[in-house]
Amino acid sequence: MVGNLYDFKKDLDQKGVFFCFSGPLSQDLLVEIGSTLKQKMHLEEASNSTVIRVFSMVVEKAQNIIHYSAEKLPPDKSVAREAEMSLGIIAVGYDSGHYFVLCGNMMKNSQVEHLRKKLTGLAGMTKDELKKHYRKQRRKDPEQGSKGAGLGLIEMAKKASRPIEFDFKKVDGNYSFFSSRTFI
Amino acid sequence: MDNLIIEATRYTPAIYFDFKTDELYIKGESYAENVMEFYAPVISWIEEYMEYKHDRYIVLNLELFYFNSSSSKILLDIFDLFETAAVEGKNITINWIYDQDDDTAYEFGEEFKEDFNLVFFRLIQKEKKSG
Repeated sequence: MVGNLYDFKKDLDQKGVFFCFSGPLSQDLLVEIGSTLKQKMHLEEASNSTVIRVFSMVVEKAQNIIHYSAEKLPPDKSVAREAEMSLGIIAVGYDSGHYFVLCGNMMKNSQVEHLRKKLTGLAGMTKDELKKHYRKQRRKDPEQGSKGAGLGLIEMAKKASRPIEFDFKKVDGNYSFFSSRTFI
Repeated sequence: MDNLIIEATRYTPAIYFDFKTDELYIKGESYAENVMEFYAPVISWIEEYMEYKHDRYIVLNLELFYFNSSSSKILLDIFDLFETAAVEGKNITINWIYDQDDDTAYEFGEEFKEDFNLVFFRLIQKEKKSG
């Protein structure tokens, strides 16, 4: 494995990925990742508006992993860590003038169709339709099982410069791996 | 009624609600993992505050550098409380303060503004910091 790490890095470089994290994600870690990324983008002289957009994608995607990843570590009361931890992947890259944010996590097969339908719907909307949809959804109560306002995906679609790319890989009889990429 | 003062953290805003001067401030970042939990005391305070039937001129100053989508929903709930109070005759101004080069915050302000009639919703552009 140690011999392959450079290949892994080269592969990321080739794909334009300059940040990559895989493992248990927490709110505190998200704050650190966010502030490091902001610093990097400011050094690259990205506009403030771009930095905020990239940051917001990272927050929404990371919080989706924290809330919905099916791969979790159970809470451990003995070390005062009472919350369960969610695992997932977050990556940020730059390609042809645009930053992008990649994210992936495990999910139950039974929820795949619902999410696919939602994302397909969003991908087919114009900016104006997304804006209206967002305001309509914000007025509604979140759907069952939602741990936030249920607005994260719409907000990402609204802020993205092209439709959200997504993919579902069936892992076994119970789980699939969900990945998505959003361009700023 | 007591003032409501909550210190800012790296992902929750500072809350400074002054009962006597009727000036309310929300300032900072807003992207806690559980946004509802953070804002529950804020919403309770506003609900109780609005019960006082005096002829008040109330100002809410909002200066959020970043807020996540769950916070956006709660902001709408908070603005609804103010709109209801305005319908009941209170004079309310919401100042939406945003950075000059933050077009996302500006767009959010514009969108919120369209949702309210009786609350005086002002968009205020902050001067760009020099240096």
